[in-house]
Amino acid sequence: MNDDNRPNPDALLAEMQRDEARVKQGRLFIFLGMCPGVGKTYAMLQAGRQRSKEGVDVLVGIVETHGRHETASLLDGMRVLPRRQLEHRGFVLLEFDIDAVLQQRPELVLVDELAHTNAPGSRHAKRYQDVLELIDSGIDVYTTLNVQHIESQVDIVRQISGVAIQETVPDSILDRAHEIQLIDLSVEKLLERMADGKVYLGERAEQAVSGFFREGNLTALRELALRFTAEQVDRDLEDIRRAKRVSSAWKTNARLMVGVGPSPYAESLIRWTRRAATRLNCPWLVVWVEGSRVLTPIEQDRLTRSLGLARKLGGEVVSVTGENISDALLQVARERNVSQIVVGKPEKAGRWRKSLADALIVGSGDIDVCVVRPLAAADKARKIVPLQEPVSDSIIGEYSWVIVALFAIASVCWGLVSYTGYMFVALVFLLAVVIAALRFSRGPVLTMATLSAVCWNYFFIPPIFTFHISKPEDWIMFGMFFIVALSMGSLTSRLRMREVAERRRLRQTDALLRVTQSAALAAEPAKGLAEALRTINELLNANTALVVREQDRSLPKAAHKASSFQPSPKEWGVVAWSYENKQCAGRYTDTLPESAATWFPLQTATAIMGVLGVQFEDSSRLDFVTRQMIEAFALQIALVLEKEHFIQAVSHAEMLSQSEKLHRTLLDSVSHELKTPIAIITAALEGMNDQRSPYITEITTATQRLQRVVDSLLQMTRLESDVLKPNLDWCDLRDVITAAQHAVGAPLDTHGVNLRLADDFPLLKLDHALLTQAVANILHNAAIYTPAGTAIDISATLRDQQLRLVIRDHGPGLPEGAERRVFEKFYRVQGSPAGGTGLGLAIARGFVQAQGGDITARNHPDGGAEFVIEINQVSAFVPPSK
Amino acid sequence: MTALIIDDEIQIRRLLRMALESKGYTVRDAENGQMGLQEAVFLKPDVILLDLGLPDMDGVDVLKRLREWSSVPVLILSVRDQESVKLAAFDAGADDYVSKPFSTAELLARLAAIQRRQGTHDAANLQLGPLVLDPVHHEASLNGHALKLTPTEYALLAQLVRHAGKIVTLKQLLRAVWGPQAEEQSQYLRVYANHLRKKLEGSTLEIKNEPGIGYRLEET
Repeated sequence: MNDDNRPNPDALLAEMQRDEARVKQGRLFIFLGMCPGVGKTYAMLQAGRQRSKEGVDVLVGIVETHGRHETASLLDGMRVLPRRQLEHRGFVLLEFDIDAVLQQRPELVLVDELAHTNAPGSRHAKRYQDVLELIDSGIDVYTTLNVQHIESQVDIVRQISGVAIQETVPDSILDRAHEIQLIDLSVEKLLERMADGKVYLGERAEQAVSGFFREGNLTALRELALRFTAEQVDRDLEDIRRAKRVSSAWKTNARLMVGVGPSPYAESLIRWTRRAATRLNCPWLVVWVEGSRVLTPIEQDRLTRSLGLARKLGGEVVSVTGENISDALLQVARERNVSQIVVGKPEKAGRWRKSLADALIVGSGDIDVCVVRPLAAADKARKIVPLQEPVSDSIIGEYSWVIVALFAIASVCWGLVSYTGYMFVALVFLLAVVIAALRFSRGPVLTMATLSAVCWNYFFIPPIFTFHISKPEDWIMFGMFFIVALSMGSLTSRLRMREVAERRRLRQTDALLRVTQSAALAAEPAKGLAEALRTINELLNANTALVVREQDRSLPKAAHKASSFQPSPKEWGVVAWSYENKQCAGRYTDTLPESAATWFPLQTATAIMGVLGVQFEDSSRLDFVTRQMIEAFALQIALVLEKEHFIQAVSHAEMLSQSEKLHRTLLDSVSHELKTPIAIITAALEGMNDQRSPYITEITTATQRLQRVVDSLLQMTRLESDVLKPNLDWCDLRDVITAAQHAVGAPLDTHGVNLRLADDFPLLKLDHALLTQAVANILHNAAIYTPAGTAIDISATLRDQQLRLVIRDHGPGLPEGAERRVFEKFYRVQGSPAGGTGLGLAIARGFVQAQGGDITARNHPDGGAEFVIEINQVSAFVPPSK
Repeated sequence: MTALIIDDEIQIRRLLRMALESKGYTVRDAENGQMGLQEAVFLKPDVILLDLGLPDMDGVDVLKRLREWSSVPVLILSVRDQESVKLAAFDAGADDYVSKPFSTAELLARLAAIQRRQGTHDAANLQLGPLVLDPVHHEASLNGHALKLTPTEYALLAQLVRHAGKIVTLKQLLRAVWGPQAEEQSQYLRVYANHLRKKLEGSTLEIKNEPGIGYRLEET
């Protein structure tokens, strides 16, 4: 047997899970076009109308008609959702109202323009997030999208048209689409429609036509859209093949990896890798190698953005530390079985230093290295200025220190120079630079190195008070001083920075360890959590709030008491969203970014235990490293909470089983004490039986009555404790009736019992003993309360898994109003014969209820009482006929 | 014939002793499990009456210890009447179960039944009243007439005849007839038991169902 022909079980499982997820989730239909004006909205509305005609509950969530009559006419007769009004800086903006849709719960909702960016103050930053939430809650969605808005196609679109696209949707949303329908139109037709004014181009129509809507551009975009759809269809086909176990389409075990840094090319490299991975249908990693160099705020921002993009596109983000980037990348590649490393083409061939690409190629061995030409991310005039940290006071202080120190050294040396010569002064300056480099940051140190060189030249190298140097050896000395001062300064400060970075990393690791230890090992969980939160607060300079779910998985009314802030009522909405969607939400995220804190779900592999909120005291960004760290903390806390939860569950179960055991022991000893004397009396009476004394007959009758009472009381006790568990097994209803008749014994001798049951009546899964006892108690009642010689009819039917067992007598029937009360404990109908306890029917009902059924009583129209036992969800077994 | 009574209630012991001695048994008794087991070793009784609620150990444990070396017929006599307790006793090897309060006449009849069975156990031809089984050819006859049986029906009937008068639990029957993997498939057993009942109709033999426990083949 050839193993290669067998489909990978993991892949099959994933496919099956996708199928399952689809059953529960709403379906997403995307109408994809190459550019505006091809008629996506029109097609979507037509499809929506069609579904509406088929009887589907369709709601138009938001549709832009752009004033076109043909489109607007399609809205006639459709249910259109009013837009939500949002006020932003004095403007009233109209937005898609997701809450109204979730409330109305239509079967299908039409949402135009998937790539739209929501107005500030909306729940999500992007409309596609609204759509994802809708399909997650089980609502089908029709939506429209242009190919240039797809994240991985952005670079290509920019290459084609020179236009940088701002509004994008991640490719992962397309993977979730149930169906992608391409709305295609030939370029000539489109240009024709445009000439007729049928295409909405916005206010800058002229510019758009000249820039974007050139025939060449449109043809390229059309090709892009067609190819993209073809790729999706290909993947669908592959999914189908896999499900049908056609293994010839099986892909190799490829795995792509791309190394990224804080460079502007990273995003482009990530998109390229994603596209390649999609085509190869393989997983991909994005690796960031953290060196010792401290990133500038701009770089930090770029890196955060790049890694965020990688996550959004579905890549796995790995961050490692290492000085040598190529070594670190290769190590990750080997550990993770990467088949291909993607790296950017160096801009200029370095003459002396080997580029990263070269180093990777040399060291890669059997791993392929793919060098691609990346595009610098159009920084899209991002608001880098506000992100750039203002020059801090400490830096200004450092500069002033540097200048003061230089001035002091220069003055002292001025006095000394006549004794020591001007060479000595150079050494003093160098010493000062090195000392400064140990304390100050790079900028001031390099400034000091430069200034000291200038100073030395001007004041000390003859001729003094000029920058002119007369002797050639002085020229050499000056040059050497300059180089030495600069490199010493920069080397020392780099060393210091590395130390700072190392210390920071150590602090993080240490904090994680402390959080884990204090939370996991504390004797009192509440104290441990408080300690853990305090550690996080100190490390991040932030406030934290912990919201732990209740036992019934609902959210509590207040945050955990270890929290250092309480979420405001408005904030609770974010908490609930994050908890329910198991996603990060709040500040610095794309979901509800207006809120004050960022909320991280406390998620373990199996459950979500609550959410952790972090509110930063300064309004800095949430960079990638911090975010990863908080996620690590959240995981640790979640694990601790889960452990706590399991411990509680186990002790609860133990307590239950203990109480059950106790109950049983008590019941056993009570029944032993009550039944033994009766057994002795019964046996003794039987031994005396030959004497035929009337006294003995009286004692025998009384003993039998006592025995019945004791039995009933014990059964009732068993019923009222929670010990009674039905023991379901296959039973034959005829056996049940026969056994019940046998159990009633003598009182039934004067009554005929007619059982009417279909010959092919199936076996039923019931508790044989409980049902027998219930039927026996009803029969016993019927035998006692009806005149001798009357018959008792029993019949049973099974319909839709419901058993209906009817026991009817031909006696005087139940007194008016007693139909319900007969099942009450100790209730006895007036004029009942002595000797009953009033428990028999109560027990019968209890035993039936224990099996998920019920008993009702009524008077039959033709006279006599009728008891009906109904049990739902009964499994039946019909024996196969021979 | 010797009978051993293991019960902690002296009155019950006295009454049982009187009843059994009147039927010609030699009776010995023990008031707890340990003494009961010792008596069983020395006395080698023909039948044992065992209570489940003993002061020193559980009656089911006494039974398990006893079954390690002896196949003497054991009748359980207990106030506990839950099916789970009965099933545990039968699984541990009890031959019959009578719950207290009991009828002395019924008790004596059951005792006689389990002892009778002990005698017929190894016979080459299995026989019960008018029913004769031929274990070699897997054939059966009732009142001299051949009984048409499928192999499964024969196997089931043979099990019941082998333990005639005694309750055989569903589990035991399923394991013996269908094999250990079928212990949960009691629906087949119910179906075949009903087939057998139809075939035995009109004879003195009856397959009785004990709710929740098993079947007993009886000659009336």
